[in-house]
Order: sequence, then structure tokens, then C-alpha cells
Amino acid sequence: MNPTSTDLDTCASEPIRVPGAIQPHGRILVLRGDADELVAFSGNWEGVDECRRRVAALAPTMPALVAGESPAALGRLTLAGADHDISAHRQGDYRFLEFEPAGADFGTRAPIYSLARHFLPQMQRSRSIDELLAIAVRELKRLTGFGRCMAYRFDAEGHGQVLAEALDDGYESYAGHCFPASDIPAQARALYCLNYIRLIPDARYEPVPLFTLDPALAPTAIDLSLAGLRSVSPVHLEYMRNMGTQASMSVSIVVRGQLWGLVSCHDHDTRFLSFPTRAACEHLGRLLSLQVEATQDRLEGERRHELRELTLRIIAQRPDLDASLLGLVDDPAPLLRLASAGGVAVVLDDRCRSAGEVPPPAEILALAEWVRQQGEEAIDSDHLATLYPAASRWQGVGAGLLALSISQVHRHVILWFRPSVVQTVTWAGRPYKETRSDGRIHPRSSFASWSEELRERALPWSTAERAAVLELRQSLIGIVLRRAEELNQMASELGRVNKELEAFSYTVSHDLRAPMRHISGYVDLVLELEADKLGDKAQRYLRHVKDASAYSGQLVDALLDFSRMGRTALKHARVDLGALCQEIARELSRFEPARRIDWTIAADLPVVWADPTLMQVALRNLMGNAVKYSRGRDVAQVSVAAVRREGRVGIEVSDNGAGFDMRYVDKLFGVFQRLHQSDQFEGTGIGLASVRRIVERHGGQVWARGVPGEGAKFGFVLPIKEEKN
Amino acid sequence: MLKPILLVEDDARDLELTLVALERSELANEVVVVRDGAQALDYLRREGEFAERPAGNPAVVMLDLKLPKVDGLEVLKAVRETPELRSLPIVMLTSSHEEGDVVRSYELGVNAYVVKPVEFKAFVSAIADLGVFWAVLNEPPPGSAKAARRFE
Repeated sequence: MNPTSTDLDTCASEPIRVPGAIQPHGRILVLRGDADELVAFSGNWEGVDECRRRVAALAPTMPALVAGESPAALGRLTLAGADHDISAHRQGDYRFLEFEPAGADFGTRAPIYSLARHFLPQMQRSRSIDELLAIAVRELKRLTGFGRCMAYRFDAEGHGQVLAEALDDGYESYAGHCFPASDIPAQARALYCLNYIRLIPDARYEPVPLFTLDPALAPTAIDLSLAGLRSVSPVHLEYMRNMGTQASMSVSIVVRGQLWGLVSCHDHDTRFLSFPTRAACEHLGRLLSLQVEATQDRLEGERRHELRELTLRIIAQRPDLDASLLGLVDDPAPLLRLASAGGVAVVLDDRCRSAGEVPPPAEILALAEWVRQQGEEAIDSDHLATLYPAASRWQGVGAGLLALSISQVHRHVILWFRPSVVQTVTWAGRPYKETRSDGRIHPRSSFASWSEELRERALPWSTAERAAVLELRQSLIGIVLRRAEELNQMASELGRVNKELEAFSYTVSHDLRAPMRHISGYVDLVLELEADKLGDKAQRYLRHVKDASAYSGQLVDALLDFSRMGRTALKHARVDLGALCQEIARELSRFEPARRIDWTIAADLPVVWADPTLMQVALRNLMGNAVKYSRGRDVAQVSVAAVRREGRVGIEVSDNGAGFDMRYVDKLFGVFQRLHQSDQFEGTGIGLASVRRIVERHGGQVWARGVPGEGAKFGFVLPIKEEKN
Repeated sequence: MLKPILLVEDDARDLELTLVALERSELANEVVVVRDGAQALDYLRREGEFAERPAGNPAVVMLDLKLPKVDGLEVLKAVRETPELRSLPIVMLTSSHEEGDVVRSYELGVNAYVVKPVEFKAFVSAIADLGVFWAVLNEPPPGSAKAARRFE
């Protein structure tokens, strides 16, 4: 349960700026604008006349006041026989004069000087936020004498954690405890940003009402935001009493306009602070705020610098990184360190590579798609399951996610994961307000330590880490673009080479065939015209010349077909390998009418998504080989079986023919590689090379197994692809 | 009188073998030989060295694809773009069955596309068949026939 929302809303409606009353330890006069006209006064003056007299006496000495600034000292006077400090400030249309009992701390003894002497040098030497706050609480305690001074910092949700504390004997320690956000309602937070200091010398005080001279002006229309004497909410007084605190003071720490934290002081007794001491405390608060901001900036700067160097290392050491960025994960250490993550994954479309502790691949892909849909450059969460419910399945590795989207077009993301950590939060009391039987909101009454375990969260991602991954993103996009450009160049270079090859094979096909045709032609003419003059031997030689030229013609044709196979674009269609095999078997049988071939074609051959012409060439080659190399068998047995592997389907053709020695299996699929003497089995030696080229162009694999004299098996598988319409 | 066959062939050996083949086909048509694409166009347009030849288109043009100066495809294109020659039967003879050439030839309106067989006997019969079909059997388009008659 989150102790923030509803309780706070009720409290947030309390009129804390315009209570229409002040605390009783001082008096107040309210003047309208620049005219010295009294409009309101506190009920602890003797009467309106006294108030008017005071105004008349003080008006000539009053300095110009800037609206919104904290009160300025106007000196001292005697009221009811006691010295009083006078301070003045301006808020909106009104000027306020406050009168408070004075102490001995005036003139050169004003505590503000000791601040410069004592506090500033220490503060400048501090290296960390914790150290700074420790110095500040010690100094505040010294200045004010409060029994307990503690500094706490608010987290993103407004809960305050005590980071430093100085206390006297008899005071309970709250070091490390959390104060729930609901302790300080929103409008109180806003007021803390406006007025850096608030003092309640006695929680049991009776408010002194404000009276106005103009009946049209309600006392509760006068804004006391900057008044030191402003009366506080009764709920807060009850809170103080519940906490066992008689006097309290809060000093704001405001960083970049946001309430960063508070120094909160408590005492078991009443404790009044004079105006000069309060001014020193306020001053301390402002100095502390500046120094916190500076320290935070410095620490953040150092961390950023460190992370930037890491980013540079990630980028610079990867000259081999391609546009997919998947290679980033090959050296995961700097990548993990960059975000202090337990696991990292790079996803490009359906590909995913990861390192360290990450969710299962399918979960990563789904998460990557979700990240892409968010349309943000970066997303981070220390409690991913609240944004992405599926994350609750793998909180052990990925309760926290920091994600970078590299491209809006592709699913191209880098994901860092942090495991859930069991974080024990020790609240200063159960952090829930109570509504009792009287129906009124009451502040919590218990401040005893109360621990809560948070199990579903990872450590939060820091600003520096978020900035670092965004910087990494910029660098990676640079790489991706450069690689894409290089690929583009390579593609056009390949295109050029391909064109050259085409021109080359064109020339070969025309110019190499012509001389063969001539040899064959002239030899035929000689054989025809001069046959009677030639001896048997000469005739036989000439026939060899003819056969040789015819064979080289076939070779040229086969080579050209082979090269064309690699160049022409694939035209995919649905190919029923079963029907195709049946057809080829019938055709091959027709060519070999004298032979007995026993075909066994499995009924469950797959249907693939491939180029039908090329599939036919591949199958014809494999089945033709089976027929050819089983020539010596009666009966020749050729079978085609289905092959199904993970994500792949294909066929295997087996025969009971000549087989081959597995030692030469690597040579089988090479161009012009033949394992049999050509007078034994004819052929160009290009068939299996074609099969391999066809299958590999489809993204598949070929294989061959054989035993000399017993037969051979040749097969291939293709990846299963969705039909694209 | 029979119209001649125009044979466009640059390679001397191919030319000789083609002529032998045509001879064996016992066609009565005269065979006019030119050696490159430019000459072929001159002949067909009666320009240059053929300016003086009698009018009339050949019965068929046997056109080698690879020719010096103006290649076979360019000749084919020029013929199809010239109104008087447009319906002239043209047979493309070539050494290879490169797909690109076949496609482009048919796009340009070739009447037949023949890959010269390496085997001489096959070559002879291919040439003979072509000659008989285009020079004897094929009825020329009406336009060209009329034009031919007028000049005879």
C-alpha cells in the first residue's frame, strides 16, 4: 500500500497560508500597500490606538520592502517592558510588521556571523551529501539548542529518508528511517519552498486571532506565508504532540526550485528562537541548499564523466560492430557496468542476443516490441511490472528495466535488466493517517520503527545512467548509419561486380560456343565429303574431335546455367515437393525405358515456399543422379523421404547405386568435382554444385552420405517461411 | 522470281557453314550476304553501296545477334521502326540462349529466335527448316506482297 494519496488530499485543503491567527509569542501589524494605513493587527495588542501609534512611529524608518523576500530586521523596541526585535516583510498588497521578544544575540553577536566563521569552512571541505548534511545538523543544533536535529531527503514519491541526525541523550534516533510523503501535504511542501523556515516554540499554544479594521476584509484573507508568527495547522500540532515534541523547527533544502529535503528540529521542551537566530538558521538553509546543489552537480558530473568514458570504450573498441549492434553483447562487461545492470539484451527485429541474467528470449522479444510501441528514445522503471504486467513473471532478473530504442522503424532496442532486491524500509511509525470516531483526520500517533519490505522493485536508475545510455544511443545511431552507408556502398559494388560477371558470361556463352560449333561443323563436313579417302583410324579420331567439341559445348551450357542460377532473383511460390518428385520420377523413367527402377516416394513430402524452377532443377539433379549411379542395379531402388527438423523441412533421396567414399564428401558439391571416371558415368560435374547453390540461396543446407558399392543419400532442408502475399 | 534471303553474318566460318546448310536445304532463293548490321540496313533501305539495287524486300532476314557496328537487336529495332520494312520476317540466329537476348528480341518483334546448335547436323536441319518456312511456306503480309509486285 502506498501511503500517499487520499490522506494527503484531505490535508491538502487546509488553509495553512491564511489561518487568520498567529502564534502567541509575538505580535503583528498589517499595513496596506505603501500608505501607512493599518488594516489588521493581532489580538495581543492593547488596542487599535496602540497599533496606530506604533505604525506612526515606525513608518518613517521603514525601508523599501521587496514583495516575497524574507523578513528584514528593523531594530528593537520595548514592549510591555521587554526588548523586542522588529522585522518587516511585504507579501502582495500588504506589509507586515512582526514583534518578537529579543535575546542577547544582536549586533556583532548575531549568530549569522558565527555561521560564516564556523559552518562555511566545514561545508566547503565536505565531499558528499551525507557529510554535508551531518555538518548542517550539528551546526543547527549548536545554533538552536534543539534536542534533535535531523536532515532528510525526499525521494521521487515524496517519502523522506533521514540521512543525518544530531541528538541529545533521551531523544529517540530516527537515523535511516523513512517519513511518509503523507506527513507533509502538498500545500505545505509548496510553502516550504517559499518560506525556508518555520518555528513552533510551543506545540500547546493558543492561537492569537487577527482583527481587521475594514469589515470587508476577512482576517482569513490575509496571506501569512512569509510571517514568522504564522499560526500552523492544528493537525500538525497534534502530530507534534503524538511525536512527543514540544517545540519544532523546519529549515528547507531547496534545489533547483524543488523541495529536496528538510532539516527538522525537535525538542521535548518549549524552545523559542529570536529573530536573529532564525535568520541565521534560514541563512544556513540557503547555504546548505546551494552546497547540496553544487555537490550533487559535482557528483553527477563525476559519474557522468566516468560513464562517458565507459561509453567511449564500448564504441571505440568495436571496429567490427555491424549495424545490427548484436555484437555489442560479445563484450558485455562495459555495457553492464554502464547501467549497473545484471543483464543486457540487444534485439534487432526477431534476433536477440543477451548477456548476464535476462528473461527468456521469447519474453525479451515481446518486451522489445512493447518498448518499440512506446515510441520513446529511452524508458526506465525500477518496477517494470506496474507498466508491463508480464514482467512479474521474471522479477528475479528483470524487476527493473532501462531500455533504449535505436530505431522507430525496426524493432531495434537495447534492454538492461536489474533484479528485484529486497529493500527494507523502516518507517518512523506506520505511515498511515487515521480517521477516528470523531470523523476528523488525525495525524499518525505512532512513531515507533515500523519496517516494510519491498520485494518487487529493483534499485532505481540514476539520472547519470539515463543520460549515459542516451549518449550511448547517439553514438550507436552514428555507427548504425555509418554501417548502413557502408552496406549500401558494398551493395552497389556487388551490383557492379554482378553486372561485370553477367557481361563476362554473356561473352563466354557467345564466343566460346562459336568455335565449338565450327569444329563440329567442319569435322562433319570432312567426314561427309572425304569419308572414302579416310582410313578407319582417321575417321575414329575425327569422331573424337566431334564428341569433344560437343562435350565442351555442354560444359559451357552447364556452366552458364550454373552462373545464372546464382544471379537471377528468386521468385518464391508454394512448391509441393511431393507432386514435383512424382513428376520428375515419371519423366526419368521415360528416359530409361530399358531399366527397372523401383521408385518409393513418401506421401508426406513437405510443401515449401521456394522458387519452383530452381526447386525443380535441384530435385531433377538429385533424382537424376540416383537413377544414373544405380545404373548397374537390377532393380534400381530410388526413394525420396521427408525430412523435418526444428524449423526446417526438406527431402532426402536414397539409391542403391555406386555410392561414394565419405572421405571425398567435401568435394562432392564443388563445381566440376567428379568422383567417378567419366566413361563410367557421364556428366559435367556441375549438378550437385547447382543443387547446393539453389538450396543455399533459399537459406537451407545440403548433405550427402554414401557407402561405396552400396548407395548414396543426398538431401536438403529449407527454412520454414511464412507465405507472403 | 523468288525473293532473296538476306543473311547477315560477320563470322566467316559461321557464314560458310550457314551457306552449306542453306545449300543443302535446296532452296531456290538467292542468298544475299552482308557482314554487319550497318550493311544490312543499307541493303534494306537501298542506301550506300546498295542504292542501286532493284526495289523489293527479301523473303526473310537471317540476322546474327552479335554483329560489328550495328548489332542484330539494333537492326531489328530499326526495321520495325521503318514503315516499309515493318512486316519483314526476321529470324534471329545466335550462339546462346541468354534469356535477356531472347526476351528483348521478342519485345522488338522478332519472328523467330534460333540458337545455333553445336552439332552440325542439327544446325543444317535448323537452317533448312527456317529457310523452307520463311522463304517458301510463309505467306508474306499483304502489304509487302503488293509492294513487291509493283516493282517486279
